[in-house]
Amino acid sequence: MLEYLALGIFGIAFIFIIIDYFDKSIIALLGALLMVIFRILTPDEALASIEFETIFLLMAMMILVNIASKSGIFEWVNMRIAALTRGNPLAIFLFFSLLTGIFSAFLDNVTTVILIVPLTIELVKGMGRDPKPYVISEIFLSNIGGALTLIGDPPNIIIGGATGFNFLDFVVNLWVPILFSAILVLATLVFKNWKAIKPISGNLTDLVIANIIIRKVKMKFVKKTIHSDFVIKVVLAILVTTVGFLLQSKIQLPNYVIAFTAVIVLGIVASKKVDFHEALRSVEWTTLLFFSGLFVMVAGIEQTGILEDLSLYIANSTSDIFTLSIIVLWISGIISMVLNNIPFITVMIPVIAGIQAQFGAVDTSILWWALSLGTCLGGNGTLIGASANVVSADLAKKEGVNITFMSYLKFSFPVTIGMLVVCSVYIYFVT
Amino acid sequence: MDQKTEIFSQLLRDLEVQLGSRDLTEMVLLSLVDSIKAFSGKGFNSFCKQYEDFTLMIENTEPKFGIFQYYFGILKNEITKNCSISGNDDWRDYAIEVVDKILASTRRQKKKILENAEKIDVEGKTILIHDHSHTVHDILAHLKAKKKKFKVIIAEQDFEKTHDNIERLHGEGIPFMVVPAYMLSHMYENIDMAFYGALTLKDTMHFVMDPGAQSIVAEFYLEKIPVYMFLGTDKFSLWKSKSRGEIFVHKQTKEHKTKPISYERIKYSHDRVPAKYFDKTITNEGIFTPEELKKLFDEKMKSV
Repeated sequence: MLEYLALGIFGIAFIFIIIDYFDKSIIALLGALLMVIFRILTPDEALASIEFETIFLLMAMMILVNIASKSGIFEWVNMRIAALTRGNPLAIFLFFSLLTGIFSAFLDNVTTVILIVPLTIELVKGMGRDPKPYVISEIFLSNIGGALTLIGDPPNIIIGGATGFNFLDFVVNLWVPILFSAILVLATLVFKNWKAIKPISGNLTDLVIANIIIRKVKMKFVKKTIHSDFVIKVVLAILVTTVGFLLQSKIQLPNYVIAFTAVIVLGIVASKKVDFHEALRSVEWTTLLFFSGLFVMVAGIEQTGILEDLSLYIANSTSDIFTLSIIVLWISGIISMVLNNIPFITVMIPVIAGIQAQFGAVDTSILWWALSLGTCLGGNGTLIGASANVVSADLAKKEGVNITFMSYLKFSFPVTIGMLVVCSVYIYFVT
Repeated sequence: MDQKTEIFSQLLRDLEVQLGSRDLTEMVLLSLVDSIKAFSGKGFNSFCKQYEDFTLMIENTEPKFGIFQYYFGILKNEITKNCSISGNDDWRDYAIEVVDKILASTRRQKKKILENAEKIDVEGKTILIHDHSHTVHDILAHLKAKKKKFKVIIAEQDFEKTHDNIERLHGEGIPFMVVPAYMLSHMYENIDMAFYGALTLKDTMHFVMDPGAQSIVAEFYLEKIPVYMFLGTDKFSLWKSKSRGEIFVHKQTKEHKTKPISYERIKYSHDRVPAKYFDKTITNEGIFTPEELKKLFDEKMKSV
């Protein structure tokens, strides 16, 4: 009976999360509460099921990104990149796409597109060109870049929290499919939109217009008050955090301790520039509560033994790690195209852990990388597949650039399938 | 107007609001230098041909900027006279040198205006500014640097322009206060003179100025408070003007702050103000009464 009740609570909550009628954090918390009220979990078990490592890491990174963005460092990088392009559309396309990928490997994907998409539209639209391929490229690269690191995308943070994989593990195991996926996206977009992207160095009028727009962007930045000491402290904090993540296995400290150390040290050394109350307000509490509620709901289902049975079923269906990895990759990829990948990944964590348990001493870590690639890259598949997609389309619409669901889908679906094929080939070679 | 010219016009209109036409001219000239460096066309002939297309676009912008016609016209003559010379390998250096000369010329004109502005007696006076003229900013900064003691009253207009005026005066350490433009009637006794800049002077002897200038200048004219215009002769529109061709209407739909009411709001880009309302016009070529200014304009028009 409890099995059905737990499944019913989770299923109804899942549907409400998908239809997005109520705030998803309220639904997740309600689901978690019902698991306790109906005695599926004890209050202590519910609390113990929340992965506080994940929650604290997310919280620390949200504060760190907020403080860093106040310094103006990201605008400065944007401005320098704009100047480097010399108004060449192909350079704008490639530089800003790659910048999006790099930023989103370290920042939240939505923050990344908010920083980059409006500037790209200003540059490209000002030249009388169609900004759509540029924005679509940035959407893809934000999700692709986010998949590269432990802190780049919430699914990876959750996987890291559940498995103990460190920052370096993610980079070492994922850089090859990420690189080839990025190349696939950029090459396809350049080929398909050559008219909007081709260089303009042979056209004086276009060059002058482009260079005026770049000077306009620079002028906007010069008007802002930038405190170089603050910028230096922020850059140092980001560098120290990254090095800390990379050396995590040596220093033997959890990621959230490293991230919080950076936040607190930055809060102290830049206390005159940082309003800590404001930085704390920037924490997306609804997201953290959503995650917490999901952890409890999944623990409720886990308690009933359903997930263990599912793991056993999948593990017994084949003994081939490659086949299992491909199943995980494609199922997670296709589901992430249309559904919020966080609830999905929280369910999949105990399932993959269960499968691993069935295989004993055999190295099955590729299953986690398949899950990470599927959930992060699958989000590119449709305009509603990831938050960064929705936010980018909204930002574009505000600037008069209409990216419709169907116009995006025509490009995104085949290219996402292409990326999953690239990942499948990678999995084939490493298993 | 073709699409590219429309895009270019829109860009210039946006930037002119922020920079003023003189700094905008400098920005476009510097962008031209960047573009010459990046241009990959085949040789000087290709550049000359494309430069002609570019000047054609400049001649057709809406509005037509007098200062652009002046400097880019000179540039066209300088560049095209050497186009027929074949085998000019150093054409980039030559083209950049010509643009640099033009840039130096714009800066000389500006310097001359500043020098002539010193002849206005501002010692101990209170000066009203209202528009967003970078020339007026520069003159106030110049007079302050010359140890003149004066105060400024800023008449409020668009939020951003007023804030830019405040920032500039604050940055220069010039004492100032701010008053809403519609309350100036209470301040007549406290104001000794008003300083204005303009986008251009039309053949109809109207200055094209920031919106709202017409009412204040007319008000001061009636109250006999001196109003001075600061304008380089390079900004004169030396052609037969269209009726209000430089004035653009921006329509916006706004929301009431507290009630669910949306309404249409209209803003105009510029005012046309008769030159006769200004006591003196200070240019790079000297200081002129309205009558003398007309004479100067007509002479320049004839020579075009």
